Amino acid sequence: MTRQKRSHHRLKRAVAPYLYLSPSLLIIGLLMLLPMVTVIGYSFQNSAVLRRDPTFAGLKHYQAIFADPVFWASLWHTLYFTCMSVVFHMTIGMVFALMLNSDRINPTLRNILRVLYILPWLFTAVIIAVIWRLLLEPNGVVNSVLMQMGIIGSKVEWFSSPATALHAVTFANIWAGYPLFMVSLLAGLQGIPRDFYEAADIDGAKAYQKLIFITIPQLMPIIISISLLDFIWTMQVFPLIWITTGGGPIYSTEVLSTYTYKLAFSSYNLSQASASAVVILLISLGLTLLYIRYQKAR
Amino acid sequence: MAEVILENICKTYGNNFRAIDQLNLSVEDGEFLILVGPSGCGKSTALRMIAGLEDITSGSLRIGGVDVVDMPPKDRDIAMVFQSYALYPHMTVSENIAFSMRLAGKPKAERKKRVDEIAKTLQLTSLLDSKPANLSGGQRQRVAMGRAMVREPAAFLMDEPLSNLDAKLRVQMRAEITSLQKQLGVTTIYVTHDQIEAMTMGDRVAVLKGGVLQQVDTPKRLYESPVNAFVAGFIGSPSMNLFEATLMGDELMSGSFAIRLQDAAFVRRPGLRSYAGRKIVFGIRPEDLYDSSLESGRKYQTIPAKVTSIEELGSEHIVHLNIDAVRVDSGDPDAVDDFGLASNAVARFEPVSAVHSGSEIRLAVDDAKFHFFDPETHLAI
Repeated sequence: MTRQKRSHHRLKRAVAPYLYLSPSLLIIGLLMLLPMVTVIGYSFQNSAVLRRDPTFAGLKHYQAIFADPVFWASLWHTLYFTCMSVVFHMTIGMVFALMLNSDRINPTLRNILRVLYILPWLFTAVIIAVIWRLLLEPNGVVNSVLMQMGIIGSKVEWFSSPATALHAVTFANIWAGYPLFMVSLLAGLQGIPRDFYEAADIDGAKAYQKLIFITIPQLMPIIISISLLDFIWTMQVFPLIWITTGGGPIYSTEVLSTYTYKLAFSSYNLSQASASAVVILLISLGLTLLYIRYQKAR
Repeated sequence: MAEVILENICKTYGNNFRAIDQLNLSVEDGEFLILVGPSGCGKSTALRMIAGLEDITSGSLRIGGVDVVDMPPKDRDIAMVFQSYALYPHMTVSENIAFSMRLAGKPKAERKKRVDEIAKTLQLTSLLDSKPANLSGGQRQRVAMGRAMVREPAAFLMDEPLSNLDAKLRVQMRAEITSLQKQLGVTTIYVTHDQIEAMTMGDRVAVLKGGVLQQVDTPKRLYESPVNAFVAGFIGSPSMNLFEATLMGDELMSGSFAIRLQDAAFVRRPGLRSYAGRKIVFGIRPEDLYDSSLESGRKYQTIPAKVTSIEELGSEHIVHLNIDAVRVDSGDPDAVDDFGLASNAVARFEPVSAVHSGSEIRLAVDDAKFHFFDPETHLAI
């Protein structure tokens, strides 16, 4: 092989991987990077989108949203909504996965429970929102059952009262999201060698010690990965809150996504909406970097 | 330390499959007993029943004089080494060894002292902070031993602990486990399907087949005096050659050849005379068959044979042969592998033998080493 042919061959080998990657890179660039960069650009402009010749605004819109108490309320609600959702998704997912993995439950019953427990996953966010609006209505099933059981004395307006609305939407989101944890943890549980538990039985481990010393450490990679992903996804939840409460009453369920949406499509303040979107982007980016770092470390 | 006594132990599963049938076994204090048998013979089930990991359908099990049938595993005062070692991957070697002490709420200083002692015995001191994933197969095996030793149990139970190691390491670990057991003097029940492990490690060997105990004896007696054709075929590698023949007077007639039996054979086995004129099964180990061209001095009787293939192992030749006789199946599923499609006998020749594949030879037979079995019951005569 001549030197020219050899260098041509080397060039082809170097370029080939990028050629294979180019279609996906092009799609990601057009559908994700371009809008992202555009929104970042809007957040530094006055009257973005609305005017043909927007002027540079510097950090004005960021200052405006940071000075807005509704933004801070939204941020707090987002954190509450997200943290509670992730913690309960994990706890409920773990309890149900342990139940479904247990030999003590009859196999037929286990299969029925498996289907029942996974049901919330089959519904779209809109359907879940409608179901819970109906159930949590003042004249709905939940109030009726709780009153009959004597837990509440009078009808509670779950979604309409500022005291309960955030808890109610969080509850609906917890109900909708635990199956992901359940399925992932169940797969993890089934991969833990039986020998580990038998060795622990011989060593005298009680059930809770087996859970603490074997099950949870063995599931830890799954728990961390899914928790980080759930955190990222839950922070961006929009339709469930929008359809159940619309962010109200009196901003009591306002989260960053509804806050941003209202800025953009109710107030038509697209520049400030962009600044708010960039804040969401930065938080999500931080969590994503954590996730990537964790995956690399593994 | 304690003796382990199994009396009429049975194990029947839900589908009425009887995995263990009337197992009676007495393991003395400090004894190293090997449970051996082909796949599915019930040896691991028996061990797991002793450990308490499987329920006992019926029978009695005593460890150190205490009836443990209804006791959970932790109260039986046993430690088990698993085939997979069952080391917790998220714990260091030190944490793995100390796990049972941690569960028992022993103080940290006491745990450390005991772990250090064990690590010293097992040469694991430099590895105490490593995770199992960073250890070699042999090191993991030693950690599993350490985890069993830390409890100072009355008995060790080992379930094929060497089967995940390569051949060389297995030889080394065989010796290590044997000497460790002698040093500790703890009653040990060791399950294996490898009859070389069975013959080299244990004080006594219990051979199981289909959940039924066939014979319990010292390795030497198992080899020399198997109680039936199955034990004869299972113990020894390659397996004993078993053939059908007719006893005519003092001659064994099989196909186109006859072998005259010495009087000593009848003196040693008085029952042999009653088979005169009847079919009988005779067995001869591969090491008792010789290349006649090398054995002219010993005046062995010879029979015709055709060499079908040769495995040259350096120290010996494993020669696959075809002789004019009907081979008898010992009932050992693993023994079938010793014979090729075209051969029905295996011999172990010295490496100086010049026989080659396809050659017709005279096979020298040491008839004093014959074993005889009933053709119906396969019991030794």
